[in-house]
Amino acid sequence: MSNQPTHVLLIEDNQGDADLVRLRLVESNSDLVVSCADRLSSGLAALAVEPPAVVLLDLNLPDSHGAETFREVLKRAPSVPVVVLSGGDDEELAIKAIHQGAQDYLVKGQFDGRQLGRAMRYAVERQALLTSLDMSRKQQLQFKDQFLSHVSHELRTPLTCAHQFVTILLDELAGPIASEQRDHLETILRSVNQLRAMIGDLIEATRAESGKTRIEPRCIVIGEVVQQAVAMLRVTAEEKGVGLEVRLDARIPLVWADPDRVFQALINLIENGIKFTPPEGSILVEARLMDLDAGFVYVSVEDTGSGIRPEAKALIFERLFQAPGGIDSSRTGLGLGLYITKELVRLHGGRIWVESQPGYGSTFSFTLPLFSLAKLLFPVVTDQGRLRDSIALITVQIAAQLPPGVGDWKEICHRCLELLQLCVLPEKDIIVPAMENAAQAATFLIVTSTDEHGAQVLLERIRTQLGRYEKLRASGVFKVSARPVALPSGATSDPLETLVQRVADNITEIAAAIGNENVDVSSQSPKMPGDGQIKKRGHRRAHNGQATNLAG
Amino acid sequence: MDKPRILLVDDDPDLRRGLNLRLRANHYDTAYAVDGFSAIAMAQKESPDLIILDIGLPAGDGFTVMDRLQNSSDLSHIPVIVLTARDPQYTRQRMLQAGAAAFFQKPADHVELLNAIRCVLKPTWPDGSASS
Repeated sequence: MSNQPTHVLLIEDNQGDADLVRLRLVESNSDLVVSCADRLSSGLAALAVEPPAVVLLDLNLPDSHGAETFREVLKRAPSVPVVVLSGGDDEELAIKAIHQGAQDYLVKGQFDGRQLGRAMRYAVERQALLTSLDMSRKQQLQFKDQFLSHVSHELRTPLTCAHQFVTILLDELAGPIASEQRDHLETILRSVNQLRAMIGDLIEATRAESGKTRIEPRCIVIGEVVQQAVAMLRVTAEEKGVGLEVRLDARIPLVWADPDRVFQALINLIENGIKFTPPEGSILVEARLMDLDAGFVYVSVEDTGSGIRPEAKALIFERLFQAPGGIDSSRTGLGLGLYITKELVRLHGGRIWVESQPGYGSTFSFTLPLFSLAKLLFPVVTDQGRLRDSIALITVQIAAQLPPGVGDWKEICHRCLELLQLCVLPEKDIIVPAMENAAQAATFLIVTSTDEHGAQVLLERIRTQLGRYEKLRASGVFKVSARPVALPSGATSDPLETLVQRVADNITEIAAAIGNENVDVSSQSPKMPGDGQIKKRGHRRAHNGQATNLAG
Repeated sequence: MDKPRILLVDDDPDLRRGLNLRLRANHYDTAYAVDGFSAIAMAQKESPDLIILDIGLPAGDGFTVMDRLQNSSDLSHIPVIVLTARDPQYTRQRMLQAGAAAFFQKPADHVELLNAIRCVLKPTWPDGSASS
């Protein structure tokens, strides 16, 4: 052992027992330094001041009993090993503590100094081992993530080159090719694309494992994403002779999800379906609402393929799982698709599962949360469990005058939204997802938790950002305004969720009202970079302190 | 009207050659630079209508080049499309924030890339008032 004395914290309320332990420790002749606490509270305080090398803990103390005592100590100092002191009659309790992570236990009156000293030292060594294992596991994950990121970059460069020149040949940029040559080149291209997808999956799976997958949820129309995914795989299905149908419930409201990620999940599931379904079979992709689970949309991919045996069902979403006996079994892939899909769904707050009848087919289903403005607003309009006194509403209106065939309004809208996202602070400001934008005019509504001054700063940032956007400057105008909004205060017994819901409803109304006041571009010079109009309205209102009140 | 001129910045000769072929076939004029330093020099010399920029470059990576372009009064108007093999999770947002007009990961679909190029180069106002 090291020359440094080992510091032992003894938490024991019985003075006699405490003295005995001290005596045994002295007997053991080891270099242990003991300090004592006779209450859990004073023990926890001592832990906070200077963590000892080991804690000797009596579970039954005046201010805490049983397993709870151990949990409290573990919570305060998770990295300090604990040896439980148990009375002869409550050994079971001590064993329970071992299950929860205590390093060892000793029964009072049944140990001598040497045993005690040894128990301490072993506890310290074991804990050190655990800690270093945990550290190296974290480092390994980190290293793996960086390594794979690097490897994928290095693999992609030659792959890009192969992709580039195969497509150059296929597009006959280097001269005409015969149909047999085209066939061969298309085979190469397919393999290149498979490799590309595998590299992507490898990265994605590692990232999911180390908790680094990011999603960017927004308001989406789930039907559109389903249609895009189906359109993408239509040819693959047709080539194999597998039918591909879509059934969409028209009543589905907006869904709160990352469209790229949902697309990715759907592609994984549909591709899987095609892979395990024989020719003449069919696949149905469906999105619907379920009464029993309001607040979620159900998306399912049903195939008439080989099905999944019950024992495989539990494993199918695990990493590297390979289904035996796929129809196209020559290339099975990495076995990462369903694992990634599960992680993506989980990050959205949804569930994923599979139902299957071997020989008849499988249905993979997942849920995604429906959009709720109240849920989105919650962190912005509340503070420490109560409604804030006030928030500010910022409206950004853009309008463009694009002659037919020139410029892309959708792109301008999208870019403006991206620019606004650069201006706002995550957690503190919310850009309310637009319900519908008229052709060539759009309104963005931002709810911010800052005060009036903060709102003005934000306005300035938005003006600068949008003002720099060439395309908008060239063909459109924008207006920015802020108004403080008082929230209903104090005396109400309604639960916080109800209050937030009410605020959300009001904001929706305000948004609708603003949406109706269209910006007229025609009267303004398209080259005007700024927001001449807004100062008249927005500013005056803000400075007069005429707050819009949402109390009603 | 002159063909739009595109400056390719990539250190991999094969990738440059491939992209060069593809762009010339689509009636663009091309020039190229092989590192961060010559990227700036070429941008000044050639005054391209668009720059296609890789991130992993010798002598000043893509971020540095982007920074210098944006902070140079005679180059900041040139739109930049980033084309990189790097991980988008760590680079995409940073590049768009720095002012990139579009971001593609290699290997990029050439139809999408050409669409983006067309979109970025398109004059936004028919009377020419848009292009500064």
